[in-house]
Amino acid sequence: MYYIDLAVTGVSFGCMYAMMAVGLTLVYGLLRILHVAHAAVFALGAYVTVVVANATGSVDAGFLAAIFITPLFGMAIYRMLYEPLLSYRPDVPMIASVGLLVLMQDAFRIVFGEQGVTFRNNTYGFTTFDVFGVTVNAVQIAIVVSAVIIFLGLHLFTTQTRTGVGWRATVSQPKIAASFGIDSIKVRYLNFAIGSALAAVAGGMVALLNNFVDPVIGYVVSYKALAIIVLGGLGSVRGTLIASLVLGLVESYGTIFIGRWLDRDAIAFLALIALLMIRPQGFVGTRAT
Amino acid sequence: MSAYEISLLSVIGINVILAVSLNMISGFCGQISLGHGAFYGAGAYAAALAMIGTGNILLALISAIVVGSLLGIVVGFASLRVRSDFLAVTTIGVNFLFTGFVRKQGWLGGEMGISGIPGSGLGADGNMVMILLFAAATIALSLYIGRSWMGFAFRAVGEDEDTAATLGINAAAYKLAAFGIGTALAGLAGGLYTFFTQFITADAFDFILSVMLMAMVVIGGIGSTWGVVVAAIGLTLLPEAIRFVNDYRLLVFGGLLVLVIRLAPGGFAALARAVATRMSRA
Amino acid sequence: MTAVLKLEDIAIRFGGVHAVDGVTFSVDSDDFVGLIGPNGAGKTTLIRIVAGMLRAKRGRIVLAGHDVTNDSTASRVRKGLALTHQIVRPFREMSVLDNVVLAAGYRRTSSPLRAALHIDRRLESERAAGILAQVGLAGTEGKLAGALPLGQMKRLEVARALAVDPRVILLDEPLAGLNQAEAAKQVETIAALNARGITVVLVEHNLEEVMRSCRRLIVLNNGRVIGDGTPRTVMSDPVVHDAYVGSGTSAHVEN
Repeated sequence: MYYIDLAVTGVSFGCMYAMMAVGLTLVYGLLRILHVAHAAVFALGAYVTVVVANATGSVDAGFLAAIFITPLFGMAIYRMLYEPLLSYRPDVPMIASVGLLVLMQDAFRIVFGEQGVTFRNNTYGFTTFDVFGVTVNAVQIAIVVSAVIIFLGLHLFTTQTRTGVGWRATVSQPKIAASFGIDSIKVRYLNFAIGSALAAVAGGMVALLNNFVDPVIGYVVSYKALAIIVLGGLGSVRGTLIASLVLGLVESYGTIFIGRWLDRDAIAFLALIALLMIRPQGFVGTRAT
Repeated sequence: MSAYEISLLSVIGINVILAVSLNMISGFCGQISLGHGAFYGAGAYAAALAMIGTGNILLALISAIVVGSLLGIVVGFASLRVRSDFLAVTTIGVNFLFTGFVRKQGWLGGEMGISGIPGSGLGADGNMVMILLFAAATIALSLYIGRSWMGFAFRAVGEDEDTAATLGINAAAYKLAAFGIGTALAGLAGGLYTFFTQFITADAFDFILSVMLMAMVVIGGIGSTWGVVVAAIGLTLLPEAIRFVNDYRLLVFGGLLVLVIRLAPGGFAALARAVATRMSRA
Repeated sequence: MTAVLKLEDIAIRFGGVHAVDGVTFSVDSDDFVGLIGPNGAGKTTLIRIVAGMLRAKRGRIVLAGHDVTNDSTASRVRKGLALTHQIVRPFREMSVLDNVVLAAGYRRTSSPLRAALHIDRRLESERAAGILAQVGLAGTEGKLAGALPLGQMKRLEVARALAVDPRVILLDEPLAGLNQAEAAKQVETIAALNARGITVVLVEHNLEEVMRSCRRLIVLNNGRVIGDGTPRTVMSDPVVHDAYVGSGTSAHVEN
């Protein structure tokens, strides 16, 4: 039973990581920039969900607000920070991104306090179901369900709609796409918008699951997301999905064995470094050329 | 001199050593390292153990330097495998692995750290003088390397290692040298820190510190020894001079980092040079 | 005459295609060789293999008596090879002079330790200034290398190659992007190098200049050598003619 429990935790975390990391891999695939500040977008999503939920009394309102606001933030980051730095070596925008993450996390600490914020009325977070003897939290179910819906939706969007196909083309073959008249600037904004909105959903879910958001929430996921996108193959959405699930499960089960030597979060980093050394292109997805 | 001033100068000295040594790796040689705290910490812990075990200052400093640079060379090998931004990510990982590992090890003090480390016997002002002397030596070394053929080769490797190869320069050897020297100095700073505080925890060597050090290098002007020295002094004094800044330290550092990269990627050193050129033409 | 560069059965595959398929030739000291062939013949790939940027699947490369098949680029440069790239890559942030000084200082930079022990640049600076004058770049010493026009950048590449005291210089499309006058000047500079005893191997599409200056042409097609001899012999060879005409490029036959 315990192992199934761990599996449930692993899968739900995996889905959450996937929604969070997709934005990161999309930006890398498109611009070759490691958008470390994406973690700040995620954190913003979490905070907005809680704050608006407390203000309006409705968790759903919180989610909607987050999904609306974070894309604006994400697009602003592209316009103000990355666009002017595109001609520099890749580490320049990355360091700026790190700076932004540090700034935002501290801003959250100053505005919302060191202790973070909690839901006043966590309608979903405390609802549990008993499924074949395993206790499953409503939010965990919601995470998995939303992840499935979202990724299916993304798949359909990028294969059935004109904008979506154009987007996908631009990510994998920017020059060819441009010669087909696809507006690469619009695609970039779309990229950041969608990635950010997904991160917001992930953030809101985590907030519900833990019932609070604190200022360091961004850091914890930032490097995990980095590990995931490298593992999954930079720029590959499918790879990110698989890698996220793998990480979720490995963390769940891995803490049993490695817990003595390293804390849980360090596991992700260990995996990341090992990967970068062995196979910098990742394991699963194909790298976007 | 008041105890506060002695303490402040000691911290400034240590930060100067850290920033200038990071500049050798990331500024001169272009290898972005966002995990400098790990080498600093490794040196500090090595010195702490040596002091507790033997009470010998020289041994402690040597252990600090050796351990710092050994870890540094291992990471240096990583720089041979991956390109700049992924190297940055790897170094972040090294930093987290270091603090994560240390926090779990009982013999390294775990979460509580190591306290009651025997002092150097020099007293607070003696320590300060030692620190400042080492800082001066580090600056001198950095200036020398910058002017030497080693610095020349570093710059080439940092800008374009494939082209450097066509000039017969073995990029791998130089990268390892940069890491080795830079991290040895970071380890030294760690040893000095241990004498200074006589109490260390993993928190003092975390990722945030590494970001602050990189901010000093970027703001001072990547590759410019004096620029980085000024930035290190300035950014250490800033939170002390302005209470507001102390509470919002990360906000300010993060913000400065973003602003400088965005508006003046060459840092203040480049700005200063530009101003100087404009003035000399006027 | 001893061979200064020998290629023995060099081959490499990309995917299913043999980009280079068993190339063998040897270049003697003082040779002035043009490596030509239609687009996609494998010239650039071959050059990259000789330069050390690609590892061949089989074959040997011998440079001035040393087997350099498994050597890094930097190591090959120290054994007598110099290269210039098709897409010029000077150190843009350094001055023109410094670009050449660094090359001239190859003895100083042979190892980090040696480099750390030396700080004086006067000898190398003098030599560098002389070389810049030779390639016609006198007066540009203080300029930022990144600010030079293309023609001058290409000459800077040659200057850097000269500064490492090579036995053989490998030039990858040294005339690409140059107008007629600039190209002629560049060829003059290269020919002057050869006259002073440096072996030259160049890859070029500009057949006119190649025919005028090279004393020997090696023709590649589909990864194989299909012609090797004086320009006149090679260009009147019907096999060579077919290779070019087949790909849509017409060959000039000079009389």
